[in-house]
Amino acid sequence: MATGADQAVGFGLVGFSLLLFTYYTLWVIVLPFVDSDHVIHSYFLPREYSVILPGVAALILLLFVGTFIGVVTWKNRKPKKID
Amino acid sequence: MTKLLEWLLGCSLIGMAWGLVTFDLLDLQLPAQYRELAWPMPVYLLVAFGCYSLATVGYRVATFNDCEDAAKELQAQIKEAKAELKKKGLKM
Repeated sequence: MATGADQAVGFGLVGFSLLLFTYYTLWVIVLPFVDSDHVIHSYFLPREYSVILPGVAALILLLFVGTFIGVVTWKNRKPKKID
Repeated sequence: MTKLLEWLLGCSLIGMAWGLVTFDLLDLQLPAQYRELAWPMPVYLLVAFGCYSLATVGYRVATFNDCEDAAKELQAQIKEAKAELKKKGLKM
Protein backbone atom coordinates (compact mmCIF):
# COMPACT_ATOMS: atom_id res chain seq x y z
CA MET A 1 0.00 0.00 0.00
CA ALA A 2 1.11 3.56 -0.57
CA THR A 3 1.62 5.68 2.52
CA GLY A 4 0.94 9.12 3.91
CA ALA A 5 0.07 11.80 1.42
CA ASP A 6 -0.48 9.33 -1.43
CA GLN A 7 -3.09 7.46 0.55
CA ALA A 8 -4.77 10.66 1.71
CA VAL A 9 -4.99 12.12 -1.78
CA GLY A 10 -6.10 8.82 -3.31
CA PHE A 11 -8.86 8.09 -0.86
CA GLY A 12 -9.82 11.76 -0.88
CA LEU A 13 -10.41 11.51 -4.62
CA VAL A 14 -12.46 8.34 -4.14
CA GLY A 15 -14.60 9.98 -1.45
CA PHE A 16 -15.09 13.15 -3.47
CA SER A 17 -16.18 11.29 -6.58
CA LEU A 18 -18.57 9.11 -4.56
CA LEU A 19 -20.16 12.21 -3.03
CA LEU A 20 -20.42 13.92 -6.39
CA PHE A 21 -21.89 10.81 -8.01
CA THR A 22 -24.48 10.34 -5.25
CA TYR A 23 -25.60 13.97 -5.27
CA TYR A 24 -25.80 14.10 -9.04
CA THR A 25 -27.65 10.77 -9.29
CA LEU A 26 -30.20 11.95 -6.71
CA TRP A 27 -30.63 15.19 -8.61
CA VAL A 28 -31.05 13.72 -12.11
CA ILE A 29 -32.63 10.30 -11.49
CA VAL A 30 -34.44 10.30 -8.15
CA LEU A 31 -35.91 13.80 -7.91
CA PRO A 32 -38.36 13.58 -10.87
CA PHE A 33 -40.16 10.78 -9.02
CA VAL A 34 -40.44 12.65 -5.74
CA ASP A 35 -43.53 14.78 -4.93
CA SER A 36 -42.88 18.43 -5.72
CA ASP A 37 -43.78 19.50 -2.17
CA HIS A 38 -41.26 17.17 -0.49
CA VAL A 39 -38.58 18.95 1.56
CA ILE A 40 -35.72 17.27 -0.34
CA HIS A 41 -36.26 19.57 -3.32
CA SER A 42 -34.93 22.50 -1.30
CA TYR A 43 -31.46 20.92 -1.35
CA PHE A 44 -31.24 20.94 -5.14
CA LEU A 45 -31.16 23.69 -7.74
CA PRO A 46 -33.72 23.78 -10.58
CA ARG A 47 -33.22 20.91 -13.02
CA GLU A 48 -31.76 23.03 -15.81
CA TYR A 49 -28.66 23.57 -13.70
CA SER A 50 -27.95 19.84 -13.72
CA VAL A 51 -26.98 20.25 -17.37
CA ILE A 52 -25.67 23.85 -17.30
CA LEU A 53 -23.21 23.36 -14.42
CA PRO A 54 -21.34 20.38 -15.92
CA GLY A 55 -21.28 22.21 -19.26
CA VAL A 56 -19.72 25.28 -17.66
CA ALA A 57 -17.25 23.10 -15.77
CA ALA A 58 -16.21 21.39 -19.01
CA LEU A 59 -15.70 24.78 -20.68
CA ILE A 60 -13.56 26.00 -17.78
CA LEU A 61 -11.49 22.82 -17.94
CA LEU A 62 -10.92 23.32 -21.67
CA LEU A 63 -9.95 26.92 -20.95
CA PHE A 64 -7.34 25.82 -18.41
CA VAL A 65 -5.90 23.16 -20.70
CA GLY A 66 -5.75 25.55 -23.63
CA THR A 67 -4.16 28.31 -21.55
CA PHE A 68 -1.58 25.91 -20.18
CA ILE A 69 -0.64 24.72 -23.66
CA GLY A 70 -0.48 28.29 -24.87
CA VAL A 71 1.75 29.43 -22.02
CA VAL A 72 4.14 26.50 -22.39
CA THR A 73 4.34 26.95 -26.17
CA TRP A 74 4.99 30.66 -25.73
CA LYS A 75 7.74 30.08 -23.18
CA ASN A 76 9.48 27.58 -25.46
CA ARG A 77 9.48 29.65 -28.61
CA LYS A 78 13.01 29.94 -29.96
CA PRO A 79 14.30 32.96 -31.90
CA LYS A 80 15.12 32.19 -35.51
CA LYS A 81 18.81 31.53 -36.17
CA ILE A 82 20.61 34.15 -38.20
CA ASP A 83 22.75 32.33 -40.76
CA MET B 1 -17.73 -5.01 -39.10
CA THR B 2 -14.93 -3.04 -37.47
CA LYS B 3 -15.00 -2.06 -33.81
CA LEU B 4 -15.35 1.59 -34.78
CA LEU B 5 -18.44 0.85 -36.84
CA GLU B 6 -19.86 -1.23 -34.01
CA TRP B 7 -19.39 1.59 -31.51
CA LEU B 8 -20.78 4.19 -33.90
CA LEU B 9 -23.80 2.01 -34.61
CA GLY B 10 -24.44 1.41 -30.93
CA CYS B 11 -24.01 5.08 -30.05
CA SER B 12 -26.28 6.28 -32.84
CA LEU B 13 -29.00 3.79 -31.88
CA ILE B 14 -28.89 4.96 -28.28
CA GLY B 15 -28.74 8.57 -29.46
CA MET B 16 -31.82 8.08 -31.62
CA ALA B 17 -33.71 6.46 -28.77
CA TRP B 18 -32.79 9.40 -26.53
CA GLY B 19 -33.81 11.93 -29.19
CA LEU B 20 -37.15 10.21 -29.72
CA VAL B 21 -37.95 10.33 -26.02
CA THR B 22 -36.63 13.84 -25.35
CA PHE B 23 -38.24 15.60 -28.30
CA ASP B 24 -41.31 13.34 -28.40
CA LEU B 25 -40.89 12.71 -32.12
CA LEU B 26 -43.22 9.72 -32.16
CA ASP B 27 -45.90 11.37 -30.02
CA LEU B 28 -45.56 8.58 -27.49
CA GLN B 29 -46.88 10.86 -24.73
CA LEU B 30 -44.79 9.28 -22.00
CA PRO B 31 -45.51 10.34 -18.40
CA ALA B 32 -43.89 13.67 -17.52
CA GLN B 33 -41.42 12.17 -15.04
CA TYR B 34 -39.86 9.88 -17.64
CA ARG B 35 -39.37 12.75 -20.04
CA GLU B 36 -37.85 14.80 -17.20
CA LEU B 37 -35.53 11.87 -16.53
CA ALA B 38 -34.52 11.40 -20.16
CA TRP B 39 -33.30 14.78 -21.32
CA PRO B 40 -30.23 15.19 -19.06
CA MET B 41 -29.12 11.61 -19.80
CA PRO B 42 -26.12 12.35 -22.06
CA VAL B 43 -24.67 14.80 -19.54
CA TYR B 44 -25.47 12.44 -16.68
CA LEU B 45 -23.63 9.55 -18.35
CA LEU B 46 -20.62 11.80 -18.97
CA VAL B 47 -20.55 12.95 -15.34
CA ALA B 48 -20.96 9.37 -14.11
CA PHE B 49 -18.08 8.22 -16.32
CA GLY B 50 -15.96 11.12 -15.06
CA CYS B 51 -16.68 10.18 -11.45
CA TYR B 52 -15.78 6.56 -12.15
CA SER B 53 -12.50 7.59 -13.78
CA LEU B 54 -11.62 9.89 -10.89
CA ALA B 55 -12.41 7.20 -8.33
CA THR B 56 -10.34 4.60 -10.21
CA VAL B 57 -7.34 6.93 -10.45
CA GLY B 58 -7.65 7.88 -6.78
CA TYR B 59 -7.96 4.29 -5.62
CA ARG B 60 -4.95 3.18 -7.63
CA VAL B 61 -2.89 6.08 -6.30
CA ALA B 62 -3.82 5.07 -2.76
CA THR B 63 -3.10 1.36 -3.19
CA PHE B 64 0.06 1.50 -5.29
CA ASN B 65 2.84 -0.12 -3.31
CA ASP B 66 5.75 2.05 -2.25
CA CYS B 67 9.03 0.82 -3.72
CA GLU B 68 11.72 2.20 -1.42
CA ASP B 69 14.67 0.73 -3.33
CA ALA B 70 13.44 1.77 -6.73
CA ALA B 71 12.76 5.29 -5.43
CA LYS B 72 16.29 5.65 -4.06
CA GLU B 73 17.78 4.28 -7.26
CA LEU B 74 15.72 6.68 -9.33
CA GLN B 75 16.76 9.68 -7.24
CA ALA B 76 20.42 8.69 -7.65
CA GLN B 77 20.00 8.34 -11.39
CA ILE B 78 18.32 11.76 -11.60
CA LYS B 79 21.24 13.37 -9.76
CA GLU B 80 23.70 11.63 -12.04
CA ALA B 81 21.86 12.72 -15.17
CA LYS B 82 21.60 16.32 -13.98
CA ALA B 83 25.32 16.47 -13.25
CA GLU B 84 26.23 15.05 -16.64
CA LEU B 85 23.90 17.37 -18.54
CA LYS B 86 25.16 20.40 -16.62
CA LYS B 87 28.69 19.43 -17.56
CA LYS B 88 27.62 19.38 -21.20
CA GLY B 89 26.16 22.84 -20.91
CA LEU B 90 22.40 22.34 -20.56
CA LYS B 91 20.76 24.93 -18.33
CA MET B 92 18.24 23.57 -15.84
